[in-house]
Amino acid sequence: MIKVTRLNKKEFVLNAELIKFVEETPDTIITLTTQEKVVVRESVDEVVTRAIEYKRMTHNTL
Amino acid sequence: MDFATLVGLISGAGLLLWAALSKESIGTFFDVPSIAIVLGGAFAATLVSLPIQKVKIAISVVKKAFTTKADSPVDLINTLVGFAEVARRDGILALEEAAKDLDDPFLVKGLQLAVDGADPELIAEIMNTELENQLDRHLVGKTIFATLGKYAPAFGMIGTLVGLVILLKNLDDPDKIGPSMAIALITTLYGAIASNLVFLPIADKLGLRSKEERFVKNIIIQGVMAIQSGDNPRIVEQKLKIFLAPDSRELVGKEAE
Repeated sequence: MIKVTRLNKKEFVLNAELIKFVEETPDTIITLTTQEKVVVRESVDEVVTRAIEYKRMTHNTL
Repeated sequence: MDFATLVGLISGAGLLLWAALSKESIGTFFDVPSIAIVLGGAFAATLVSLPIQKVKIAISVVKKAFTTKADSPVDLINTLVGFAEVARRDGILALEEAAKDLDDPFLVKGLQLAVDGADPELIAEIMNTELENQLDRHLVGKTIFATLGKYAPAFGMIGTLVGLVILLKNLDDPDKIGPSMAIALITTLYGAIASNLVFLPIADKLGLRSKEERFVKNIIIQGVMAIQSGDNPRIVEQKLKIFLAPDSRELVGKEAE
């Protein structure tokens, strides 16, 4: 679950497990495993960072 | 200006007049009350058959039969590919600026939806609904002309019957039988001409215009969806060229150079 922002500045939460590609076009377009594409304002690196953060948080409950 | 409509109407009327007048003078074929029965009756029947709001729409749509569509599909595709390039270079938000200069409200709406971050399926859904509604409005014009074309010959027949009633009433005067019969048939003539030279062909033309519009708007929808998905401009070009006939496809891109 990562927080990202649409182009219209609305924030929403995206299920990071569904991410297939994150591409810079130059807008960041995230392609999901459902073939849906979502355009977000965050950069590719930012999206990757947040996804890793999320993973770290969920795995640290050990 | 769509010359085909004008040329067709003038040449058709001209040929008919020439053929008719080669044997008789214009007076034989001209009868004002007959015009009144045919046109007045056809319009009256059409008014009865349509709700009043539709009639207002019709008047504005009728002009379409005489004007040509400004957008050629090739220009449209070049424009869309240009936008794809802008989006790839400066991001989708840059399209908001570019969209402001456009004439076509449908295209502007599509780009606005993309800039607002709607996903492609939603854009397609909204644009398709808009497309259907626009076409429904345009179809009203065609319906009106088709209705006029349907009723004109019928009122021609009514005029003929009126003439025959008058004729039979005056059978005691044999000299009048011929001319009265002629006048009676003139209304059928007017009805047939009005229907087949004017009303029905215009209805057909409006129908074709609707088809053209649907085609062009589909190109726009596909283009906007492709841009929104971040497709490479060459891919957008390929996707849109499919809409064109093979010989037109080569024209895309050449004009942009």
